[in-house]
Amino acid sequence: MAAPAQLKTGLSTTTKLLGILVAGAAVAVALGVYANAHTPTHEKPYTLFFSGTIQLKVWLATLALVLAGVQLLLAARLYGKLSIPRQAPAWLGDAHRLIGTAAFVVTLPVAYQCLWGLGFQTASTRVLLHGIFGCAFYGVFVIKVLGVRVKGLPNWVLPVAGGLVFAALVAIFLTSSLWFFTSSSAPRPLF
Amino acid sequence: MFRRVVNAIEVLAVVAVAVFIIMLFANEPGSGGAAASSPGGMIFSANCASCHGANGEGAIGPKLAGVVVPAFPNPSDEITFVDHGRGIMPAFATTLSAAQIRDVVDYTRTELGK
Repeated sequence: MAAPAQLKTGLSTTTKLLGILVAGAAVAVALGVYANAHTPTHEKPYTLFFSGTIQLKVWLATLALVLAGVQLLLAARLYGKLSIPRQAPAWLGDAHRLIGTAAFVVTLPVAYQCLWGLGFQTASTRVLLHGIFGCAFYGVFVIKVLGVRVKGLPNWVLPVAGGLVFAALVAIFLTSSLWFFTSSSAPRPLF
Repeated sequence: MFRRVVNAIEVLAVVAVAVFIIMLFANEPGSGGAAASSPGGMIFSANCASCHGANGEGAIGPKLAGVVVPAFPNPSDEITFVDHGRGIMPAFATTLSAAQIRDVVDYTRTELGK
């Protein structure tokens, strides 16, 4: 499988791997540069049915994490790390793609308000880490997507990239939504 | 059939990413920003508005417009609060000069929300 793809593209595995790593890093850095260079608007462009933009962001980030958790389970079944159900359905891979896409799309309104409205901030360690993890999330997501599309990569690339996407999302959740849910000084109401 | 649906949704996701990128660069801020003509207003926009809202209406941090004077009748108490912070409110004594803190405190007391 790997050899024909390499012949087709004419690129070595190392070159492909470096290529997708550079692409992911470029996306993460570009988002950070934009957030730092762009003058924050401090506007809250949408709330949907929530009481405020912060509540919207907190719950969408939570939904993204829940979907990512489902992704983790589906991936574990795809890789045979789980044996439930005993016979993996044929649609499992497509379900993994669908839920992953949904989780990603759910993060976009959150990231938009963060980047456009707030920018890259260093006011506290939590906020600084949140910004770094946010940029890193989209970087490793690009690596994951390219890892699926580019043939001939080592087998460990996808699970590692997927694990990093999940880890970045967990870190984002811990530095935002969890703080919102647990900090007595966070704004209320919850919804 | 299911795969076609997934493919279509992935295409929509790519469109969403394109809209996301365009909006980042094309969507200029409206008139909701803090008045940044005064030194205090500019300091507020750069350091305070992300938590307290562009017009001090409150967001992650509490509302400031119209409430700081009753909360801190003496301006020096508000300056001390901004200097040292409390809870999630960062201490600004290390990032802003004394003059800047005086300016932004004055802004929150006289111009914010007007």
